[in-house]
Amino acid sequence: MAGPARESHRWKWLLVSPALFVLLLAASGPLVIVLIYSFLSPGNMGGVSWDPSTEAWFRVFWSRDIFEPELVTLNDSHLAIFWRTIWLSFQTTVICAVLGFPTAWFIATRSARTRMVWLFLITIPFWTNLLIRTFAIQEMIRSNGTINTALLWLGVIDEPLEMMFTEFAVLLGMAYVFLPLMVLPLYAAMEKLDFRLVEAGYDLYASRRQVLWHVILPLVKPGFIAGSILVFIPSIGAYVTPRVLGGGKTMMLGNLIALQFGQGRNWPLGAALAMVLLVIVVVALIFYLRVTGSEERARNGRA
Amino acid sequence: MTEQTRHEIEITGVGKVFGQGETAFHALRNINLTIRTGEFFTLLGPSGCGKTTLLRVIAGFEQPTTGSLSINGQSVVGLAPNVRTVNTVFQNYALFPHMSVAENIGFGLKMLGRPRAEVAATTDEMLRLVRMESMAHRKPAELSGGQQQRVALARALAPRPRVLLLDEPLSALDLKLRKDMQSELKRLQIETGITFVFVTHDQEEALTMSDRLAVMNAGQILQLGSPHEIYNAPSERFVADFIGETNFLNLKVTARDGSGATVGLPGGATAQARLAEGISPAPGDTVPAVIRPEQVQLCPPGEGDMDGTVTGAVFFGTDTHVHLTLSDGQPFTVRRQNSADQPEPANGTPFGLRLTPGALQILRG
Repeated sequence: MAGPARESHRWKWLLVSPALFVLLLAASGPLVIVLIYSFLSPGNMGGVSWDPSTEAWFRVFWSRDIFEPELVTLNDSHLAIFWRTIWLSFQTTVICAVLGFPTAWFIATRSARTRMVWLFLITIPFWTNLLIRTFAIQEMIRSNGTINTALLWLGVIDEPLEMMFTEFAVLLGMAYVFLPLMVLPLYAAMEKLDFRLVEAGYDLYASRRQVLWHVILPLVKPGFIAGSILVFIPSIGAYVTPRVLGGGKTMMLGNLIALQFGQGRNWPLGAALAMVLLVIVVVALIFYLRVTGSEERARNGRA
Repeated sequence: MTEQTRHEIEITGVGKVFGQGETAFHALRNINLTIRTGEFFTLLGPSGCGKTTLLRVIAGFEQPTTGSLSINGQSVVGLAPNVRTVNTVFQNYALFPHMSVAENIGFGLKMLGRPRAEVAATTDEMLRLVRMESMAHRKPAELSGGQQQRVALARALAPRPRVLLLDEPLSALDLKLRKDMQSELKRLQIETGITFVFVTHDQEEALTMSDRLAVMNAGQILQLGSPHEIYNAPSERFVADFIGETNFLNLKVTARDGSGATVGLPGGATAQARLAEGISPAPGDTVPAVIRPEQVQLCPPGEGDMDGTVTGAVFFGTDTHVHLTLSDGQPFTVRRQNSADQPEPANGTPFGLRLTPGALQILRG
């Protein structure tokens, strides 16, 4: 029964070997280096010295008093940054979902031809460099930027709104940058949606809101799952947006890591923080897939 | 008024146009129709004739361009589907894939805000009604086509609508299952007493199940009546052709009387014919007429009303379709009941044809 078909399968894995090789070299290699660095001591001029130490890991969560090294307290500033990173990423995901759903719905309900045009428009921001787009947002929201100038001229406000270097600015920037990553998978899920099910919902006395809640949302949930992962993970590791729009006050984990490798000259701490970032992402993913996956298994439908 | 003559749905002058200007498509043209309370009413026609559009107008998925529509005496023009006491069984069933069978069936009542206990009780009752008790917790994807069909029926019946609309619900089922579901549907209709409006392109289905039916083509209702009336007294060629097999003959009217006419048959004999409603041909007119193949008996040549020569025969098991050419060259088909001692007629055999009295019908146009 196996015969030649089985035989040809045996060598198929060779087709993926170049990709596997690149992944091994470009992903696993650096990861191992980062992991090793996190257990070494900082070098004098940056870099690492090859003295094994758990000091970097200790410093991730705790800090020592400068004068009395025995006095150990929780590292509040690090914990605040962890929390801010998770919280801002979560908010970004929610904002993208709330804004992305009607957008995707609008596109999915157009005629087949115009859909392509709208999808094309959605992807246009990807053509411009992230840094430039972020600076464009800065231009919009800074004290004497476009929005404040317009509002002052209209007499809506008397003095410029402070929007730069706030969590609002970071949220705005991240939601803007990641919105297409939510819209596209949502659109893909909606395109597959059988609109006769929506009619069936109306026919069975459901109001518009009930149809949305009981029929449409459960059926496009796979799109929400994919979109949330695509938005949440890069948000956790965001660097450019909080750097340009958030400044030093609203630092995120990515900026903290960069700081250790730059001015901080503490590579082991930077490496340990990078591993923390990885752990946050993996834990968040597992948690998310657990929650949504258990429902998925329970339903076992064709959605 | 008695239960039989109450009007459940009244459709007056309903038209539906899709698009505008040059490309406008008239899906429905001036439909006038009254559907009685508690009847099994069928809209029959070929695909694209407007029957599904008419159903969607009744359900509220489409608003009529012109005309009015009332359900149980109240105008529903402009009302959304979710406020009409009408439920639909969709062609592809449209079961919610993320809900169990029981959740699907209870959906309508839940949306109406009925108490949990009532929803559960009605769901159980409906599961029993369609004999799906053991499948209550399955998902639609785990059911066969016939089972999905039953769930779709139960889901639409659960809120006890005044009218149940069925959009070609049996078209996806295989022949055996379709026959079973036909009698199942009829049983449900009688048990629940709900008015059924059934859309189909299958003439046999329409004849066997309906109390009354309307034959539609090109957005219009061509004829309305009981299956018996539609089959035996078609008013025009399309109806006669669409329903069952028919012989078409062009005949000359020789005399008129009150309700019928005398026509000359090929070969010189005459026969009495009925007239379709609303026509009044004069003697001397050539008119289209129909007679069903089973309303004609073969007999020895010269002993019948017409004569013909066999050109072919097709065996159908219970009967044989004998194709003949009449003396004036028109083709004709006779359906002959088969019996073991009867040989299949050979090509070229001459036969006489005896018409059943009153079976000849003169058509409109």
